[in-house]
Amino acid sequence: MERYMGTFVRWLLTPVGLFILGLGLYYLMRLFRWEKQQATGLALISPWLFGFLGFTAIPIFYSLYLSFTDFSLFGKEKWVGLGNFIKLFTNDVEFWPSVRITLSYAIFTLPVGVFGSLLVALLINREIKGIRIFRTILYLTAILPDTAVAIIWRQLFNGETGLINFFLSLFGVNKIDWFGNPKYVLPAFVIISIWGIFGTNTIIFLASLKDVPRVLYEAAEIDGASGFRRFVHITIPQISSVILVQVVMSLIGSLQMFTVAQFLRPTTQAGLFMNQLVYTRGFTQLHMGEASAIAWVLFVIILVLTLLVFRTSPAWVHYETEVKDVKNAR
Amino acid sequence: MKRISILCTALLIVALLFTACTTTGTGDVKGSTDTSNTPAAGNKDQGKSSEKVEIKLSTWAGSEEAAELQAIIDRLNASSDTYIITQDSNPADYETRLTTQLSGSAGPDLFWVSAARGAQFAARGVMLDITDRLSKSDKPAANLDDYYESAFGPFKVDGKIYALPWIMQPVVLYVNQDALDKAGIVIDENWNWDRFMEAAKKLTVDKNGKSLGESGFDKNNIVQWGFTLNGWPPVQMFIWQAGGEVIAEDFSSSPIDTPEAMKGFKFYRELIDSGVVPSQQTIRDRGFDQMFRDGQVAMFMGGAADSLDTRVENFKCVVREVPAGPNGTKATFVDLLGMGINAKTKYPDAAFEALVDLAEEIHKWKVMPPRKSIGSTENMISLHPERKDAFPAIVNSLSYSKPYRFYQDYPDWDTIFWNQLMDPIINSDGNPEELVPKVKPLLDETLK
Repeated sequence: MERYMGTFVRWLLTPVGLFILGLGLYYLMRLFRWEKQQATGLALISPWLFGFLGFTAIPIFYSLYLSFTDFSLFGKEKWVGLGNFIKLFTNDVEFWPSVRITLSYAIFTLPVGVFGSLLVALLINREIKGIRIFRTILYLTAILPDTAVAIIWRQLFNGETGLINFFLSLFGVNKIDWFGNPKYVLPAFVIISIWGIFGTNTIIFLASLKDVPRVLYEAAEIDGASGFRRFVHITIPQISSVILVQVVMSLIGSLQMFTVAQFLRPTTQAGLFMNQLVYTRGFTQLHMGEASAIAWVLFVIILVLTLLVFRTSPAWVHYETEVKDVKNAR
Repeated sequence: MKRISILCTALLIVALLFTACTTTGTGDVKGSTDTSNTPAAGNKDQGKSSEKVEIKLSTWAGSEEAAELQAIIDRLNASSDTYIITQDSNPADYETRLTTQLSGSAGPDLFWVSAARGAQFAARGVMLDITDRLSKSDKPAANLDDYYESAFGPFKVDGKIYALPWIMQPVVLYVNQDALDKAGIVIDENWNWDRFMEAAKKLTVDKNGKSLGESGFDKNNIVQWGFTLNGWPPVQMFIWQAGGEVIAEDFSSSPIDTPEAMKGFKFYRELIDSGVVPSQQTIRDRGFDQMFRDGQVAMFMGGAADSLDTRVENFKCVVREVPAGPNGTKATFVDLLGMGINAKTKYPDAAFEALVDLAEEIHKWKVMPPRKSIGSTENMISLHPERKDAFPAIVNSLSYSKPYRFYQDYPDWDTIFWNQLMDPIINSDGNPEELVPKVKPLLDETLK
């Protein structure tokens, strides 16, 4: 008990310290003649602000700095300029395979994740008896930790007792070594990604589907529109802004694949996912500079792809405000 | 003016709070349970004469091992006037956690360290240089002459010692003696690669009881394989047995293309191709050592401390030496584990005393200790009578065992070696003759 006392005291003192810090900030702002309301607002959000600065903003910029250095976690950083990036792009046998499998995974899992969860949302959007139980059961998959999910999938992919190979054997397919044969590693992870369609994405889609005005469907029905046409011409446009969010979030999530891959440890010939490479370089090889450089390359990839999605979005995302603007223009 | 004074007061309180919140670093002073004792002379880090200092120890021990270690620690704490060791054992992601702690100022005073990590830490000044302290100490565990020569390899940089080894685990051969008796196989002093392969074939049996090589052998219905490997045991061991090396003594190159080294790679490949080893998928599906425990594999190479000879219940398991190479060269890999002191510890003298005392006790606890005086066959049998049949082979193995050639950036070399060379050989029918010329320049590059 005694050994935890220090931690307990610090745990108690931290909110007190943050409160006093907020108070100090309030008086400081007032000294600079800020409005009372503005100073109070800033003081109230200051605990989050300090946390954000200390645990997010500063580490982000520090990692950017580290990407230009040779740093082993111990001792001083040594400035190497673009050395880490040049090494990655020109003389690193693991980097390009890593980029390849990470991007391939994102490309294949994105449609599976987005449209899969949309389909599941459509299914559980139906008002049938016991639907709430189904919704709850489906959401349970989202609360399982990734390591538990990995264990489940390892069993499913087991060559001898796994359900997947058993199912394939019914069609005459020989036993597949999913994690030993580099050809099958990516398909295996894409199959695993199906797990993700039953979680939060589905709930968000479900909420957006509930938001679509019934009157639009009723009007379409009167006009004789089929179910498919109602889905394409009403549902999709109405929820397209949510689809955009889902595409962006799924894209970011898939590019950051780590836990399941780290746990399942497939053959390295398929390449390590970029986040795995960051971890290996940083914490196994103690090259924190290189690890930071890889992390920043991943960030740029995510940024470029996200911007690309946003740039294409005016062509397929429908906003209510656009309609209003047209009306106003008239 | 009033506002400024309020602000100043607030900032002062915050500053005081932060001072209070700041970690006290490693180690704290504890009241002694016996105030009549005085600390050992010369311990400049001791506070008052009636106080012991807390030495925090981090290990990867699981619950059972941690409980045994705690019993040792309790004994040491009771008899020491200088320190109280507090154990923090957690195997989950141990190395990452320890590395992160040590890079800040929240690290333990004393910690277990693997050979690879030990080499990284020693070269980077993370661990305390204990060379002089060892030479001045008269405790048995500080007597360097008593250790096996290879025991300090990973923990030594430029002649300076940074950690004490507490276990040397040579790879030995665990065999299913019942299966060997049934096949009429005897392991004697002429135990070499040819004999090993021959035995492995005889021990690979199908459901009809036919051995590999016999007519009518059904390779699709094997119930017992002769041997198993999945990257373990390390190919280095076979290369050493063939007279080769993977890292030059002066760390200038990686001579994996020499005829001797190639012999090692080819034998490894031959073991896989010959059918005496289950497929990698089968190993993954059924569990590597589990297959041996279940009687599905007849010979298994493992560390001496794995103690399969006392843990397997379904058959009689005995310990033998690994086979010698084609020219009779004996070599086996030895896994080394050590214990180091945080270079930032507030109590280097007390931590050193705790280190030496704890090492002494662990040497008597673990198989095998890295010390000649404790590691004799007779002494080991007296310490661990339940393994009396195993010690002749274990002690012999230790005499010709060697660790990898660890150095500061060994994980760089190891990553290339494993990912670019061994993984394809093991998982994708990779041909060593094609792979070695491609991988050697990459390995040499990491040694520059």
